[in-house]
Amino acid sequence: MVSIGRYIRNIRRSGVKKWMRDMMYIGDAKYGQCVGQDQFGNKYYENLNPEDELPGRHRWVDFAQHDFNATQVPAEWHSWLHHIRHQPPPQDTVMQNLSPPWKGPWVENLTGTRGAYKPYNTAAAKINPWAPKVAPRNST
Amino acid sequence: MSASVLRNAALVNASRRAALRPQLGVNAVRSLHSTQPKSAQTPDSEIPSSTTSPSQPITALAKQGSNQLSLETPKNGMEYVLSTVDKVVNWARQGSMWPMTFGLACCAVEMMHMATSRYDQDRLGVVFRASPRQSDIMIVAGTLTNKMAPALRKVYDQMPEPRWVISMGSCANGGGYYHYSYSVVRGCDRIVPVDIYVPGCPPTAEALLYGMLQLQRKMRRNRKSVLWYRK
Repeated sequence: MVSIGRYIRNIRRSGVKKWMRDMMYIGDAKYGQCVGQDQFGNKYYENLNPEDELPGRHRWVDFAQHDFNATQVPAEWHSWLHHIRHQPPPQDTVMQNLSPPWKGPWVENLTGTRGAYKPYNTAAAKINPWAPKVAPRNST
Repeated sequence: MSASVLRNAALVNASRRAALRPQLGVNAVRSLHSTQPKSAQTPDSEIPSSTTSPSQPITALAKQGSNQLSLETPKNGMEYVLSTVDKVVNWARQGSMWPMTFGLACCAVEMMHMATSRYDQDRLGVVFRASPRQSDIMIVAGTLTNKMAPALRKVYDQMPEPRWVISMGSCANGGGYYHYSYSVVRGCDRIVPVDIYVPGCPPTAEALLYGMLQLQRKMRRNRKSVLWYRK
């Protein structure tokens, strides 16, 4: 449950530096067991004690980047964060064995940068720029 | 088994992909574009299409050489001050996005879900306003018909600057299911300029909330006073 007691307890357990970071990025004093880290450096935490965290807030991510957004979580860790998989990816043998070799590297949403997705059209353009063709003038 | 397994797999995949296609740049994967990105036109640029580097994330790579990056890096003291002013303005704007409630069809139900306790838009400072004169975002949620289009434009014109438009759902994005109907506008971007398109039919409340966060990202890119100073 959320209370003053829990807040102070979490500050004491996680330390002042971690508390400052959590208040900056998460907005709460959270404390939990770090279950792993993905290839981008995002850290994943879990605290299953209902005295500490409300059910539903018991798994969270600490983003590596300052300008964070949800697509920075790769697919494997997304499925852990959203309770699609029970075990985190480093311990999830099923996910490791089912990971296809042709799977592409994870890329976050690049909207607003030069890497942004632009759709393309295979149909012929309906509006074309005018390409003037000048007939040769008869010179006598 | 540890995280290094995943990391190795990602690295192997990256190298395999790199070997299979020419080095073009960040969006080399989508090389069917009619217009190539500027980074792809210079032959010596080798921007990888993915990275796991913590110091140089893919968003930083994708910004290389862009006008936006130039605006974000101040060149003198005055620009430093002005870009800080811009950041303060952006922070204030993104902290209180007040959308105009423009629910037209079933997407509006998902828009309401965004307001209720599970997704709770209020924690981001997003509060629905009933009047266009008090709001700075318009969420076009649903099918825009020919009959509604003048009203939509009128409401948009009544909104004070700065204003943004989120087009929500297939119907507002491009007509969607009703694209060939005689009475439907084929996308609300024919009536108003749209900032964020949220795909889906209807998009989930989560998707719309992500769209709001993307709009925050867009607001954070604003460097209007630096632009004014340089010009």
